Amino acid sequence: MLAARASTARNIQRIARSFATAVDTAGVKVASVNYNQPTSSVTVLVKAGSRFETKDGVANALKNFAFKSTAKRSAIGTVRESELYGGVLSASLGREYLALSAEFLRGDEPFFVDLLTSFITSAKFTRHEFEEYVLRLIEADTEAAVENPTSRAIDVAHSLAFRSGLGKSLFAPAHNSLTVADVKAFASSSFTKGNVAVLGTGIDQSTLSSLVEKAFASAPSASTTSSTSPTSYFGGETRLQSHHGPQTVFIGFGTTGSPSASLAALSAHLSPAPSVKWSKGISSIATGIPEGTSVQTVYLPYSDASLFGLLVQGSTAAGVKEAGKVAVQALKASASGLKEEDLKRAIAKAKFNAASASDNREGLVAALGSKILGGSDVTLESSFSSLDALNTSTFSKATSSLLASKPTYVVVGDAHALPFADELGL
Amino acid sequence: MLFGPLSTSLAPQVKSSRTLLKWITPIANWYANASGYRKYGFKYDDLLCEENPEVQRALSRLTPREAYDRAYRLKRASQASILHAPLSKEQWMQPSEDIRYLKPHVVEVMKEEAERKMWDTVAVERK
Repeated sequence: MLAARASTARNIQRIARSFATAVDTAGVKVASVNYNQPTSSVTVLVKAGSRFETKDGVANALKNFAFKSTAKRSAIGTVRESELYGGVLSASLGREYLALSAEFLRGDEPFFVDLLTSFITSAKFTRHEFEEYVLRLIEADTEAAVENPTSRAIDVAHSLAFRSGLGKSLFAPAHNSLTVADVKAFASSSFTKGNVAVLGTGIDQSTLSSLVEKAFASAPSASTTSSTSPTSYFGGETRLQSHHGPQTVFIGFGTTGSPSASLAALSAHLSPAPSVKWSKGISSIATGIPEGTSVQTVYLPYSDASLFGLLVQGSTAAGVKEAGKVAVQALKASASGLKEEDLKRAIAKAKFNAASASDNREGLVAALGSKILGGSDVTLESSFSSLDALNTSTFSKATSSLLASKPTYVVVGDAHALPFADELGL
Repeated sequence: MLFGPLSTSLAPQVKSSRTLLKWITPIANWYANASGYRKYGFKYDDLLCEENPEVQRALSRLTPREAYDRAYRLKRASQASILHAPLSKEQWMQPSEDIRYLKPHVVEVMKEEAERKMWDTVAVERK
């Protein structure tokens, strides 16, 4: 059994090493990983997240414009042709990146790479498509976000924590004045070669490189990258009335600088999610909170800041107050020092989280996007070694300095009954 | 309508021949003036039969300004029709302003419909 373990460990190392380093192809960064999966996927990452937007909601509008008509094919042609190939197209927006993905059978990559890159190089952004399709999608996104207390709490927490830049909402305001000209201007400023990275899974690096090179051959060579001022952390408290979903409290803390291993370990340590099905887990939060409430850890690393928090939810405000007290207590306890074996457990969990995230495609894109566009080498090893380097003193130092900052406290639900920050002991 | 919302036109063929264009242009201009719609402040595209889905969709793609101006011209002409008299001469549509503002949108919509039909009935072959 030990031998089997050792070989797994070696495998992980080998996979980590075989993960392609980003190669510059015609000014565009290309990285690909090939485990001989039965399907391939290609994701075009653009530095066009809400952080870089010039007008509120324009990044969301650009996301919803994905796969509309380009110089090469119309919107209906895009959909029908990829249906004939049996592919799946999706677009997702983060605070830093816009990701356009296609998943398809092996061998169809020329078509799908062409489809994705033609949106980058020659999207038409017609006014009638904006009015007939895109505006409705923007509205639907906004409405869904407002009705979901989790996404609303985290969105508002970002704006409290970081104000501008990373603090910009992922969604457009409910009453916005977005026009197609705004979207066009945002796209032309962000769709430059230096802003684009192409990630492939289940596809050869050389194949992908040659396809990308062909696609971007005619694109203008300007390689400017989007930039914003560096993020700083502020924190604050807000209370939002909402009649949808569970009562929600978000207790967050932020740091600036590149994401640190200690936050990942803290998140793994506090997470009350049980490792065994149908059990409660051994975390102090899991055993302390009342029935009908839940606590989740939220750890969101960005390129120059991270937000860590606990999301407390429950059906009643009183229950959420109890659970919130327990959560804050656990948070403070971990700042005052952790036992050696607890830290070991947390590090193992954090390592597993990092490794299993790079198992699926979304995780790969999320984990590697920032690294690739940042230009650094892409490995799992580096994140493993920084986790291994943690010890109890560095951990408690990092955690207590995190808790020393002003908390970001958001309440969504029955704003009159839900607790204030000082009532939870913050 | 038999040939779609735009009806048939020989204009492309005429335009391709220089001599023919030189001969026909004065007659066409005379005909457009003689048909009288300009006296009621209309542009030619205001007369396009709008009771079909393609033109309705094209109308929805006009800019707010174009749509407003179109509605204004229609109202002004209705009023003139009630009075049984053309507009005063300074309100007549100038030939230079009589441009096809709706036709490009109709053509675009028809192209989209044709493409949809093509994809609906396409026969797929594996190479």
